[in-house]
Amino acid sequence: MSYDSHHGDHHDHPSPFGPHDWSHGAPHNSWAPIMMAFGSSIFLLGFTKVFTQTWEGDAWSYAINSAQFGLLIAGLAIFTAGLYVFWRQDWSFDGIEFEPKSVGTPFRGIDIRKVAIWMFLMSEMMVFSSLFSTYLRYRTGIDNCEALHAAGTLTDGTVCWLPASYFIAEGGWHQETAHAALKFMPDTLIPGAINTFALIVSSYTIVLALKTAKDRSLSDSERNRKVGKYLLTTLLLATLFLIFKLVEWFVGFELGDHDHPLFYSPSLLADGFTIHASDYTYQVCNEWHDHHCAEGQLETYTIDIRMAASTFYVTTGTHGVHVFGGMVALVYMVIKAYRGGYTPDNAVSIEYFGLYWHFVDLVWVLVFPAFYLY
Amino acid sequence: MGEHGHHTILGFDRYAFNFWVLMIFTAIEVVAVALTFSMEGTVSMNTVVFILVAVGVVKGVGIAAIFMHLQGDPDSRVLTATALFPVFFIVIMVLFIGLTHPDAADTLPDWCRPGFYNLE
Amino acid sequence: MFSTLKKPQNIGIIAILLLAVVMAPSVTSYPHGASGVQDSGCACHGSQADGVTPVLDGLPNELTPSMTYTLNISFTGGPSGEDPNAAALGGFHLWVSEGSLSPIDGDDKVKINPDGSATHNGIDGEDVGTGNDQTSWQVEWTAPAEGGAKFTLHVNSVNGDGIASDLDDWNRLNAEVGPQPVEQASGLTVFASSILLMITIVGGCVVWVFYRENPDSFSWDYFVPWLSDWLTTTDHKKVGTLYFLSGFFFLGVGGLFALIFRIQLATPGNDFLTQDEYNQFFTMHGTTMIFLAAMPMIAGFANWIVPLQIGAHDLALPRMNALAFWLNPAAALLIFTGIFSGQGADVGWTGYAPYIVSHTAHSGATLWVAGQILLVASSTIAGINFMTTFCTMRAPGMGWMQMPLFSWSILVATLMLFISIPAFGIGLIQVLLDRTIGTVFYEVAAGGDPLLWSHLFWYFGHPEVYVVVLPAFGVISEVLSTSARRTVFGYKSMVFALAGIGVLGFIVYGHHMFTSGMSPVLRFVTMLTTMLVAVPTGIKIFNWLQTMHGGSLVYRTHTLWALGFLVTFTLGGISGMYFPAVAMDLHLHETYFVVAHFHYVFVGGIIFGLYSGIYYWYPKATGRMLNEKLGVMHFMVGFISYNLVFWPMHRLGIQGMPRRQHTYFITTDQYFALPAEAADWNMMITIAAFFFAASNLILVYNIVVSALRGQKAPNDPWGGWSMEWLTTSPPPTPSHDPHNLPVLQFEEEHDDGDPGLFGRWIQWMMIAEDGGEEE
Repeated sequence: MSYDSHHGDHHDHPSPFGPHDWSHGAPHNSWAPIMMAFGSSIFLLGFTKVFTQTWEGDAWSYAINSAQFGLLIAGLAIFTAGLYVFWRQDWSFDGIEFEPKSVGTPFRGIDIRKVAIWMFLMSEMMVFSSLFSTYLRYRTGIDNCEALHAAGTLTDGTVCWLPASYFIAEGGWHQETAHAALKFMPDTLIPGAINTFALIVSSYTIVLALKTAKDRSLSDSERNRKVGKYLLTTLLLATLFLIFKLVEWFVGFELGDHDHPLFYSPSLLADGFTIHASDYTYQVCNEWHDHHCAEGQLETYTIDIRMAASTFYVTTGTHGVHVFGGMVALVYMVIKAYRGGYTPDNAVSIEYFGLYWHFVDLVWVLVFPAFYLY
Repeated sequence: MGEHGHHTILGFDRYAFNFWVLMIFTAIEVVAVALTFSMEGTVSMNTVVFILVAVGVVKGVGIAAIFMHLQGDPDSRVLTATALFPVFFIVIMVLFIGLTHPDAADTLPDWCRPGFYNLE
Repeated sequence: MFSTLKKPQNIGIIAILLLAVVMAPSVTSYPHGASGVQDSGCACHGSQADGVTPVLDGLPNELTPSMTYTLNISFTGGPSGEDPNAAALGGFHLWVSEGSLSPIDGDDKVKINPDGSATHNGIDGEDVGTGNDQTSWQVEWTAPAEGGAKFTLHVNSVNGDGIASDLDDWNRLNAEVGPQPVEQASGLTVFASSILLMITIVGGCVVWVFYRENPDSFSWDYFVPWLSDWLTTTDHKKVGTLYFLSGFFFLGVGGLFALIFRIQLATPGNDFLTQDEYNQFFTMHGTTMIFLAAMPMIAGFANWIVPLQIGAHDLALPRMNALAFWLNPAAALLIFTGIFSGQGADVGWTGYAPYIVSHTAHSGATLWVAGQILLVASSTIAGINFMTTFCTMRAPGMGWMQMPLFSWSILVATLMLFISIPAFGIGLIQVLLDRTIGTVFYEVAAGGDPLLWSHLFWYFGHPEVYVVVLPAFGVISEVLSTSARRTVFGYKSMVFALAGIGVLGFIVYGHHMFTSGMSPVLRFVTMLTTMLVAVPTGIKIFNWLQTMHGGSLVYRTHTLWALGFLVTFTLGGISGMYFPAVAMDLHLHETYFVVAHFHYVFVGGIIFGLYSGIYYWYPKATGRMLNEKLGVMHFMVGFISYNLVFWPMHRLGIQGMPRRQHTYFITTDQYFALPAEAADWNMMITIAAFFFAASNLILVYNIVVSALRGQKAPNDPWGGWSMEWLTTSPPPTPSHDPHNLPVLQFEEEHDDGDPGLFGRWIQWMMIAEDGGEEE
């Protein structure tokens, strides 16, 4: 209940839509928060209406209700518009007039924004710790299918854990039949391996962008071009990452002749590793003859591996969403870089984004062995 | 950042050095797993897990210390402390949530389970 | 008109409106209120045609309750019937509002759908001689035990080409039998009317406030700028006010839920609410009170007071602050959506798995989960913002050990909140995915572990309890030291107690799960740590007592509430000490003793603390004094009725009254015995609950009237000495001049000036004072 007079008491009439005049301090008004909040609300409403499940008396049936995509898209659109307003206000930020520094113990002299990013990363650490705790609990709590089979207790309908690495890295059933263009590793591991390298390279390009933006020895135009180039490379690598991830999940790929492919990497979906795989056909061959199972040595079980798939897709998916969020930010940064927004005085924005990006990379360092290799 | 005389490690640009270390260690990671595939039986799964953990630690430290500037900058010490702050809470979470078992429900004697009303 | 299009924001608004038009068709009341199936008919079978005449025979003129009738369904006309050898002739779909439908024994032409409606058997395009190949069917209907029923019948007349196509026709018949209840509106109508009513009321209030602000120079021209200023504001004081308004609103809503189910519980065997409604109401009561009332009110206090108190001109991230607020109403919309269609969440505020992912849980639980996810986002953003503010924006001279205790309490609370809430967020995302795309995190058949949800929930849920109670501690520390006219006794021990609660709070959560079959080792560990929490809390209680003992107490309304807090919170703390003892907990679990305990700490702790804070800081925020007479009346009525509500619950709980149950019976059954006096206690609780609710209206009246006609407040009406009292009442914007921040005068107040080992370590970590600037 403020009793300010209710109009025009600011000298500078800041626009709640941006761009903002940062020489007067942070924005006083912004339409971004309310738009982003209600946008995400509508998006979630749409999400629950698009992805529906119905109880069929003894089991769920799942459907994608495409008639409701409107809500989902409208929510995203409103959120994006809010983000646009937010960034439009940020657009004029040049780090010279307004870059508040911390005072007092223990962050004295550090930019406030940098402290905030670290606080954000703390909560992100807890996010991924929660996911890993879930993984650990189920990984240690549910019997491994292969171990059960070795112990002779695997029967049809058993609920057990068949790790994603069974499909990706070791080959499992594919061990003998898997295609290995590189001889020493299965083709199915290649997208994940490339992704790992892509993230590391993108981590490197983002530090190079920072280093270049801080380089006072370069001319403005050259610096803008180089910073833009590095940021764009980062963006492209992130895009590559997501594309390979989707390929690995849903598409799979194949090079060369269909019967004798040079490279053959079926998708996890095609392999039957899905969150609905309550009756996955698990095959074990006791004796191989020239990449074919010997007569009478093939055992087939129908098992429930939904839990392994759920943890795999949700954990790697959460990581993927973080990569996507980084990509959205990178689009803004690439445009700003080519327009000359990043100068030695205002390079820190790249550093703060970089902190997030390295964190995403760091998470992948944990996700990759835990889900793809082990 | 780099203006404080910490640009180099062993004569290489620190970022480039770290980058190549990460690349090499990732390659080790992938090859370790590939060995279990191509030379089945030569490398035990325990060895692989050990390699994965060791490589993960090295890569994690490399990314945090050099790419995230937790080493060598004036603000590195305090930010390292910040970054390590949640460790206690993460340990609690992993111990309590990730590594406990609901074995109580299976191993408790009958008389301490719900539904046991045989009081006579 | 078109000139306004030049502004990009107007184009944006028009684009949003267009999008709204696009999505409007899909906005039907979620999820069952107006599904549209009965309205839209068999869209696959062409259009509604008058040529088709549905017939429903066999309904009696006088309905006998619970009697079974055979209904004859048939139709004439339409494209069918011209070719007796056609693949199919027609179909039907019959809904009935009451009673149940069943096929006649041995009849394979009719089947019953999962929703209870009846339809023909058989598959389109297959001439299997069953249900599809008929023009008449028979079905049995068992009448309800009382009342009448409504029938809706759809029939298809198909042309026999084997394809459900435009060439087919369908028609509808509505019929009624027996006494009809008062006409009920459709879910969509109820939903739309409530929304309209809400908009009207809120709009009216907004316009009135706008008028009252400046009645003399009232002009509509200023209205839009004034309103959009509030909608877009990032000023911590205005956002704080918005938090308060939404917190108060939902406090009222949550209170209404409580009153309604207290009516249900007033007498044994009552049926004022159905079991279904009861489940939804206690779920929404808990959710609303914790997440939509207590949390926003605390955030409101934190927003208003923290920057003023630590000498900052605003929060560190003002736009993020506004975003954290606006996520609250956005989340509330989702959380409440199910209620309007009678399918609100019925999962308890804990949302325990596996019920929450089962098909028996109401479909509104999905959006309840979605709404909670937004609240998690809000809390995370607010937490980051406040942590950054505390760490970086304290006024010159204000070290950690000079920060006022209210700020300290908010600091510890936000720290606990944003460290713990990601666990809850991940749990919610898992549940949401389980309920939408079909992951199996909590699907027991697929190996899902319901305990995982309990773990993730309580890893957050128990710190959350401290998150809401610590700010109340802070308020009490401020109020008591100001009222006792001395500094708070044992400042350092107060800070360490807060920090101790903050750390311990994370390793005690297992005590919520003693009966769940959790790991026995963890039960033992959390039993010990839970008992340990009493130590820092006890330190705080005794420090408050000692503060008053050494001071000279001035009795203002806020002092009264603080004293009331001391009594009720201590009682709540003592009843809490029964639960860490596993054996005792097994006995008291899920009884009213638990309800009594947590209402003693939630209401007697948090709400009393916040009321104390409202009386204490209202003059600072508005520049007007609250009426003390009304305040004392509020306290007297509130305190007495509050104790009448919750004290008897201890007794009820020990007598064996279970919580979360729709009703109870006076019985001498060996295992569920409940003595006759339980009914009397319940009646008394209900009556007292109405008094307690009424006492809050005194506060609302006081706030409104004092805002209009209250005495003008001086800058420091109570003689407080923290930095918020340095500013004018109400404070200017920015709150403190960023170029001339206040400097703490008595830096050494709580500090002997010689840094200890820890202090020296911190100094070692920091950027050196001289050359510290990066670059």
